[in-house]
Amino acid sequence: MGLRDLFEKDVQELEAEGILFTSLQKLVAWGRSNSLWPVTFGLACCAIEMMASTNPRTDMARMGSEVFRASPRQADVMIVAGRLSKKMAPVLTRVYEQMPDPKWVISMGACASSGGMFNNYAIVQNVDSVVPVDIFVPGCPPRPESLMYAVMQLQKKVKGEAFDERGVKLPMVEGWSRG
Amino acid sequence: MTTKTAPHHQDSVEGSFHTEYMRINVGPQHPSTHGVLRLVVDLDGEQIVSLKPQVGYLHTGFEKTFEHRTYQQGVTYSNRMDYLHGFGHDLAYVLAVEKLMDSRVPIRAQRIRVILNELNRIASHLIFFGTGLLDMGALTPFFYTQREREKILDIFELVSGARMNYGYFRVGGLYQDSPDGFEERVQAWYDDFWPHLEQYRNLWVGNDIVLARTKGVCVVPPEMAIDHALTGPSLRASGVGLDFRKAQPYSSYEDYQFDVPVYQEGDLWARMMIRFDEMVEAARIVKQALDLLEPGPVKDPDRRISLPPRQELENSMEAVIFHFKLVTEGFHPPKGEVYVPTESARGELGYYIISDGGSMPYRVKVHAPSLANLQSLEPSSIGGLFADMVINIASFDPVLGDVDK
Amino acid sequence: MTLPATGSPFASGGVLAAALERLTALGGTTSEFKGMTSVTLPKSQLIEGLEAAKAAGMVMLTDVVGIDYLTYPGHRGKRFAVVYNIHDVTGRERLFVRVELDDGEASPTATGVWRGADFLERETFDMMGVVFEGHPNLRKLLTPEDLEGHPHRKDFPIGESPTLFNDGRFLDPATFRAGLMGQDTGLTGWKGGARDGVRSTQGTLPDERGES
Repeated sequence: MGLRDLFEKDVQELEAEGILFTSLQKLVAWGRSNSLWPVTFGLACCAIEMMASTNPRTDMARMGSEVFRASPRQADVMIVAGRLSKKMAPVLTRVYEQMPDPKWVISMGACASSGGMFNNYAIVQNVDSVVPVDIFVPGCPPRPESLMYAVMQLQKKVKGEAFDERGVKLPMVEGWSRG
Repeated sequence: MTTKTAPHHQDSVEGSFHTEYMRINVGPQHPSTHGVLRLVVDLDGEQIVSLKPQVGYLHTGFEKTFEHRTYQQGVTYSNRMDYLHGFGHDLAYVLAVEKLMDSRVPIRAQRIRVILNELNRIASHLIFFGTGLLDMGALTPFFYTQREREKILDIFELVSGARMNYGYFRVGGLYQDSPDGFEERVQAWYDDFWPHLEQYRNLWVGNDIVLARTKGVCVVPPEMAIDHALTGPSLRASGVGLDFRKAQPYSSYEDYQFDVPVYQEGDLWARMMIRFDEMVEAARIVKQALDLLEPGPVKDPDRRISLPPRQELENSMEAVIFHFKLVTEGFHPPKGEVYVPTESARGELGYYIISDGGSMPYRVKVHAPSLANLQSLEPSSIGGLFADMVINIASFDPVLGDVDK
Repeated sequence: MTLPATGSPFASGGVLAAALERLTALGGTTSEFKGMTSVTLPKSQLIEGLEAAKAAGMVMLTDVVGIDYLTYPGHRGKRFAVVYNIHDVTGRERLFVRVELDDGEASPTATGVWRGADFLERETFDMMGVVFEGHPNLRKLLTPEDLEGHPHRKDFPIGESPTLFNDGRFLDPATFRAGLMGQDTGLTGWKGGARDGVRSTQGTLPDERGES
């Protein structure tokens, strides 16, 4: 089954068998995962390592992140790179809301994932409390290779091949919006 | 400012436009700002009428955090402020604490500190060029400078284990001696640096577009610079030759021969080219420090500051007591207030540390050069175009971790 | 266009002495610690003192430091101090001009002397709550608009979130550090030696007694 059937069978047959949409979904998911365009949300030191992951040594563009779009309307993943201060949190929410569905969030670094080494009045202790996070990347800062691995894990999640820590398969994003 | 009336009122007057100022919010999330800097800009067409920087979007409470960590633990925090020149902040912090403790740092540690500090300065200036030219629209130099920077980061990784945010400097010296191959690597980097520098010179120094966009634009005259507490390369580009490596040498800087570039124009071009010359001078310092490097200890032998070597712990009870006290509690500097000015890639950097005799500082105030430098942004941008303001921000080279602390 | 490596061509020397002379004439008391000279001026003479120091040659302002002496051991005097860190154009001579303030007492602004004191005084206001009279734009600089209070004051808590361990224990990070502060025993049960450190176990060390 799969792509071959798309060419050999009739559209009505495929719809009846429920194959067309599954194959189309997989095609769309494959396309989405290989063209994840991040929105520039570099905050602090992790932003420098995020920029360094685009350099020729660790080329993020070969993962499909060809450009970092400044406008959230044209991006589909937000890499929160750096410590999120409480003054910046509303801005983060607003930029996230401006991104069109489907969208994903990578929380890069220890400070974005858990507050990091800053446990005080000024830093949000987990970006997940502000936006729903898909991938957490540990490190202070994470090496560009770590960020690359994170993007690859996100690609698996987008395609529906990702598993969580208990071995349960995570669902692929269905249709045109987040489930 | 001449006011003109709107075209649909042409029947009443001679025929001209009534315009208002447009207020634009730039940032805090914006590709052209160097971090989360927000500007509220009043525009008359394309010309800037007023510019108000709003900072604080990266405020982390570093100074309060320092009060709740021991002096030795403070080294983990200091380099996260100005993450592009982390060794500069580390150096300023440990120098201030060492001044408070009257600690004598061995010469090998001082020279390695200088080598790493200057390499970090070069890495920071490379990012300055990469992002500054990116703001002008040139994408290629970014990747070229990142290539050079990766080689420097490899040296940092060799020495400290981390590419950025190192924990290598300690109060009293270094964490451990540099590993085998460090000197060869730095020498290899030095030999490899000059042809790449020539490449950069060919790529953008004589470039017509760069010259047209930066010559004579956003001038900061020296009186304005001094009045607005500007320091660092931006001040030296305006004609005031103040460099704390020469004025108050610290950590063996008096042993090296290097020039301090000073430009008189004070425009964007001067602020860019001065950092180019500074990279050359920094490379010269690295070479001289490397040549003068000799084997020796890297920690202050004073047991009140540095941990005793492990062999001593087997024999001496005193060493065990010192070790215990230092690890659980940390050392106690005498009461007092101290400030040591150093020169970071952005300007004058100093930590004003107040000790109350305890194992944690009482108050640490960081004079971060980027915040003071940002005050010169408004007077130099007013009257200019919006696109020039974008490069003007880049030319002052603010790092928002440094601004917001 | 580089200067030779033999130092700055600007005249130097004597600037600190000239500035000190003028400031002591205005009623300032000098003190010195490890090569750093500070002058404490009465609040009414602050601006005149800064202008006099600037005229004497201390033309550059580095920093405005706000200090809260609330929990400083052995401090008798007003709660706050604002220190102006100024130096001459060669960078070799530096002076710290201090003014002491009570809680709620306002200080005159130095923005008339240096425009660069603008952001620096705003930061001191935001962090310490020291009001600067005459400042053109005294608002919060670094903290969010909805944060009330002044974070770097000693009575403002650092605001740590407790750490949740996997086995369900909730631990306040301050308990790990309590032994270092000298007041509370915390988790380690050890009190931290009355802030004397090694000296409390060793007495005077050999090099302090004058031996080598």
